[in-house]
Amino acid sequence: MRDGLISLGRRLLARRGAALGLAFLALVALAAAFAGLLPLDPLGQSVADALKPPSSESWFGTDELGRDILARVVYGARTSLVTAFGAVLTAALVGVPVGLVAGFYGGWRDSLLMRCIDVLLALPNILFAMALIAVLGRSQSAALIAVGVAGIPGFARIARAQVMTLRSLDFVTAVRGFGGKPGYIMFRTILPNALSPLVVQAIVLASIAILLEAALAFLGVGVPPPTPSWGEMLRTGKSYLYEAPSYAVLPGLVLTLTILSFDTIGRALTAILDRDETDASGATIGGRR
Amino acid sequence: MTAYVLRRLLQMLPVLLLASFAIFAMIYAVPGGPVAVIVGENAGPEEIAAAIRRYGLDRPMAVQYLDWLGRALAGDFGSSLHSRQPVLQLIGERLPATLQLALAAIVVALAIGIPVAIASAVRPNSWIDRLLSGWSALALGVPTFWLGILLILLFAVELHWLPSASRHVPFWQAPLDALRSLALPALTLGVYVSGILARFLRASLIGEARADYVRTARAKGVPERRIVGLHIMRNAMLPFVTIVGLMMANFIGGAVVTEAVFTYPGLGRLLIQAISTRDYPLIQGCILVILIAYMLINLLVDALYAWIDPRIEYR
Repeated sequence: MRDGLISLGRRLLARRGAALGLAFLALVALAAAFAGLLPLDPLGQSVADALKPPSSESWFGTDELGRDILARVVYGARTSLVTAFGAVLTAALVGVPVGLVAGFYGGWRDSLLMRCIDVLLALPNILFAMALIAVLGRSQSAALIAVGVAGIPGFARIARAQVMTLRSLDFVTAVRGFGGKPGYIMFRTILPNALSPLVVQAIVLASIAILLEAALAFLGVGVPPPTPSWGEMLRTGKSYLYEAPSYAVLPGLVLTLTILSFDTIGRALTAILDRDETDASGATIGGRR
Repeated sequence: MTAYVLRRLLQMLPVLLLASFAIFAMIYAVPGGPVAVIVGENAGPEEIAAAIRRYGLDRPMAVQYLDWLGRALAGDFGSSLHSRQPVLQLIGERLPATLQLALAAIVVALAIGIPVAIASAVRPNSWIDRLLSGWSALALGVPTFWLGILLILLFAVELHWLPSASRHVPFWQAPLDALRSLALPALTLGVYVSGILARFLRASLIGEARADYVRTARAKGVPERRIVGLHIMRNAMLPFVTIVGLMMANFIGGAVVTEAVFTYPGLGRLLIQAISTRDYPLIQGCILVILIAYMLINLLVDALYAWIDPRIEYR
């Protein structure tokens, strides 16, 4: 499986768009991880320096309290990436088992679980997230859970579809014949063979999660201030469009590039896996790639 | 047809029941429960006792739910905790604004999405196809709130052509004013949706172009323009109707971010205000109305699809 991942990585880097996306994400992730080592202060206020345009001293300019916008963008990356990562993990931890059980057993379990998933899909993501925050109150963990819940249906549907194609194949029948219990078959036999589409889903969801987290912050119901967050900066920056246009434009640019990077990588991976599927049709079945 | 619509309405019931229970139970999950929601967290014991008596909060939860559901079915969603106005009236005031924005955005999305899809599907994998696919990716990846801000900077701050904040002006009363007010929010939403529409229509055009009837038409010497415009388009447009309908349904509440950028008085903004003031009856009413509208539009789209494509049977 490790060889498969390495060759997948190589083929991903061969695509120009995906390689650019990976490079940008690496830059953002490194800056977020080592923000403490950089000469940046996201909280230091100086009212005399409020709303300064970009300069050699502060590359992105300053906000209404004289705080350095670049520093807040870098620390905001932490908020965004941590929330997005947590949300994807939450969605996978709930969605994958739900899909596995629904697809493996079928029958009433399938109907019941999928009706619950339908309820999650019955509202636009952003509304569902807002309703959850209305109940949980405004905090970073509430934002994480709200975004995570919105991602559950995607994982559940893909896991379910995978189980339904894989469960009748010979290698699953063999494990069943050796006396494998349902739990073992679902999580140890089927799941490892269904990983590729789930990983792609995780990357696609990461771009949606970052967008959703920023949208919630923009609406004023996301991660509460003074924690820097990209959406919150756009929200405040919007009030100073006449005085300091770069205040809203530059954080928005970083946010957009991050979303586009995830999206490009996700689509490149989908294309690679689709080609594998076409190549492999009829030749090998469900083998570990 | 009638039987089909009736059966679909019946299928909606379980989802609607589950969702309505979740919406009702929402206030029980709030710290302090429904009492704190009604009287506030700092209320004295007498106020709490009065509220429990008045709203019947000492009854079993299932009884309270059935009571709430019965009144909701009769159109009574209670009153806003803040303005004391009936929830349904508040929603009714915002709904026309939301629908007008949704229609305008769909017009923009179709005006961009259809030409983009045709231009890229005519020569798949050519440079123009790649360029236009890039456009779709961009339209989908750029957050609407950032695009909205960029449009305000260009058209309101720099050029002074359009207002930066939008009001709701009914189109039939003052068409020009309405268009001025709608232009930027409709463009913002429309660009995003044009990305979805273009991607989808391109795929279905390319799929149709491989069909046998296209080969037959070519063999008969039908001009290429007529093949694309008449034969392929007609068949590719069918599934397209579904996507356009889904987008419409999404706008009923999902345009909340765009509404916030332009301070547009739609249903989504009513919901944000309700959430920030913890006005739970209003939150419940908004979500329930949006949910029902969403499901009904979906049903309407499916029925329409079956009606315009005679090959589909109502089963």
